[in-house]
Amino acid sequence: MTAVRQAPGTAQPAPSQPPAPPARRRTTGLRRAEPETPPGRVARLLPRTVAARIRTLTAVSLVLLVALLAVAWAAIANAREGVRVIGQDAGPQVVATGDLYFQLTDMDAQLANALLAGGAAGGARDQALARYNDNRLKAGDALLKAAKLADERTEENTARDVLDALGRYERLAGQALLLDRQSDRASGAPSAEVIGLYRQATDLMKLDLLPKAYNLTLDNGTLVRHTYEDKRSAVLTGRMWVLITGLALLVVLAGFQLYLAKRFRRMLNVPLALATLASLVLVVTGTAMLSGQASHLRQAKEDGFDSILSLARARAISNSAAADETRFLLDPDRADAYEQVYLNKSQTVLYLPAGNLTEYNKAVQGDLSFEPGRARFLGFLGTEANRPTESGEQLSQMVNALNKALADYQKVQANDRQMRDLVHAGKRSEAIAARASAAEDFAVYDRSLQSLIGLHQKEFDEAVKDGDDGTSGWYTVLPIAGVAIALLVLVGVRPRLAEYRWSK
Amino acid sequence: MVEVRGRALRSPRWAAAAAAFALLAAACGTVGEATSSVAGSDGLVIGVQRDQPGLGQQIGEPADGYDSYEGFDIRMAKEIARHLKVPAANVTFRRVASKDREELIQSGAVDMVVGTYSITPERKTKVKFAGPYYVAHQDILVRKSNPASIGDLHDLAGKRLCMVPGSQSFQRVATEQSVSAVPVEAEGYTDCLNKLIAGDLDAISTDDLILAGLASEAAKKGEYMRLVNAPFSDERYGVGLRQDDVEGCEAVNEAITKMYQDGTMRLQLKRWFAPTGLDLTTTVPQFEGCI
Repeated sequence: MTAVRQAPGTAQPAPSQPPAPPARRRTTGLRRAEPETPPGRVARLLPRTVAARIRTLTAVSLVLLVALLAVAWAAIANAREGVRVIGQDAGPQVVATGDLYFQLTDMDAQLANALLAGGAAGGARDQALARYNDNRLKAGDALLKAAKLADERTEENTARDVLDALGRYERLAGQALLLDRQSDRASGAPSAEVIGLYRQATDLMKLDLLPKAYNLTLDNGTLVRHTYEDKRSAVLTGRMWVLITGLALLVVLAGFQLYLAKRFRRMLNVPLALATLASLVLVVTGTAMLSGQASHLRQAKEDGFDSILSLARARAISNSAAADETRFLLDPDRADAYEQVYLNKSQTVLYLPAGNLTEYNKAVQGDLSFEPGRARFLGFLGTEANRPTESGEQLSQMVNALNKALADYQKVQANDRQMRDLVHAGKRSEAIAARASAAEDFAVYDRSLQSLIGLHQKEFDEAVKDGDDGTSGWYTVLPIAGVAIALLVLVGVRPRLAEYRWSK
Repeated sequence: MVEVRGRALRSPRWAAAAAAFALLAAACGTVGEATSSVAGSDGLVIGVQRDQPGLGQQIGEPADGYDSYEGFDIRMAKEIARHLKVPAANVTFRRVASKDREELIQSGAVDMVVGTYSITPERKTKVKFAGPYYVAHQDILVRKSNPASIGDLHDLAGKRLCMVPGSQSFQRVATEQSVSAVPVEAEGYTDCLNKLIAGDLDAISTDDLILAGLASEAAKKGEYMRLVNAPFSDERYGVGLRQDDVEGCEAVNEAITKMYQDGTMRLQLKRWFAPTGLDLTTTVPQFEGCI
């Protein structure tokens, strides 16, 4: 070495050049690999020693592993959030506000009944008032629930306005009842003053309270639709990323395995193979779980929630249409308007083309049988009949329940025709007397709507539970699997690095 | 030489490619338009009525100008556009006749219709309705000096009644309520008013808001009208949208809710209809629902 230094002026090549003859490269690679001259741009970025390469591969695997866990975690979080909003917030709220609408409508109907019954024997007024009070309690309950779940400013304002209007309604109802009692009539039409108060009350109900209660239900439908679309696409995107990062991780692990096999002439690095296998299992089960979540969300939304919402709306509209029947009887001056509104609402529930109520009544009595997915009527009930359902058993159950509801609806419309014919023939008191049995038929119809809602509720609950169960435990599984895979990689790599240290 | 020849060879190919690209872009544009929602769109073409004083009336040129119309419906349209975050400069009005409304929405010629557009089950089979933003009631307008006494709907039997094609009003009387009035066709409600003044009609029956506007219009000419005040229907004024625009429908509903909550509706209803003496409802109507 000194000799070289002492002879700078000789014809020898400059010693400052790094001595890197190809002959000195070791195929075993156990010692530091000498850099090639000149190093390419890419080559300069790549680690140049085996140990560094092993370390880099380890680091890349671990980074990919963390990325995989992170995207899986995010996708699961999205799925859980979706299930929570649809299953625990908005879903029950739709039921709560649907009930609210029903109770408010029934309060108004019972007020009308109480006023119509007057002080006649039989205690019809007391019965009506008992139901009125019962409904008031339940309405307060439902409103409380709806307000608690409201999560947007506009929705909150709506809930507060409903509360305010309910107070005003109660005041008017109280005045009407008091005035009617004081008039001390046996039965028949209440006094003009009472009717005036009732009109104010029922207008308040019709124009202020009920629309807002109904809009609250619609708001929840919007919330669910948005959540569903956001979360489902987030879950599907998450699944794609799990697959991408998972595949990258598997490729790197497999490449790692091959590299080690080549470099160290070993058949199989068992811990690394186990890590690869565990990653594969994680990616496959994770992807399957996310696919399952997407389908649970879809099931909860499309097979459960959508039907619950539209049947809740059908129930609300049907109840308010029934109230319009009572108003038609109670308030002859506005009978034309009530009749038109009744037709409009009926057509919303079950649409058949008809120019007027007489035609509609007739059309409804026709054949309403349907093949699932191909009903010839529209409206809420038509939507239900046209909804595709999956399994055969559930399908027949739904079809039976829907057929029952349709038959009950026909009965309700037949009663309506009868009542109006009596009124047009000048037999108003007979029409009023027939209301009791008609109200029972309506209650039967309302119950069959409820049992149909119940069937969808069951399906909804199952899907929500499946969704919940599908992700439960994954927050535990992910970190454990992550730590296990990371440890396996390190365990697989450590002896090789140690080998390198020894030889040093 | 070579270069020139090369260009000559190449240019038709490029032209063809450019043309194909343009076609493709145009095709995509059309498809995009048909499925796009009024929610989040940059500009809006809003169909409005032009001959309903107080609701939608053309007061100037150009026919698509933002300031060429006035009335309650016009105000609603502008407020909705504002809530949808569409700048006024990008809002275009287009006058529509009652009978064309469904077709113009379906073809995409207009993005939405705000023009005394009653939500009916028949129309719902063709277009989607956001709202209603207001519930009007059908009523009857007669000349104050009218010798024939018309006190309510059933007095219209045998009377000459205005019929505007595409408007629901005459059907409500003749078909729904089975009152055999004699139809006299007119182009629009201003035309009805002229016919009523001229004595070619006994009565006009349509939404009270329109009638109120007509009555004050007539009063300006020294002709006095009487609103019978016997409402016999609920006319739920909706915002007509394309059948598949659920997103836009929900956004419009939210806009309407806010307009009621922040007092805009109370203000606008008062501004346009307080002098008419009509009973005005200042609480949010029950929405039709978007799905």
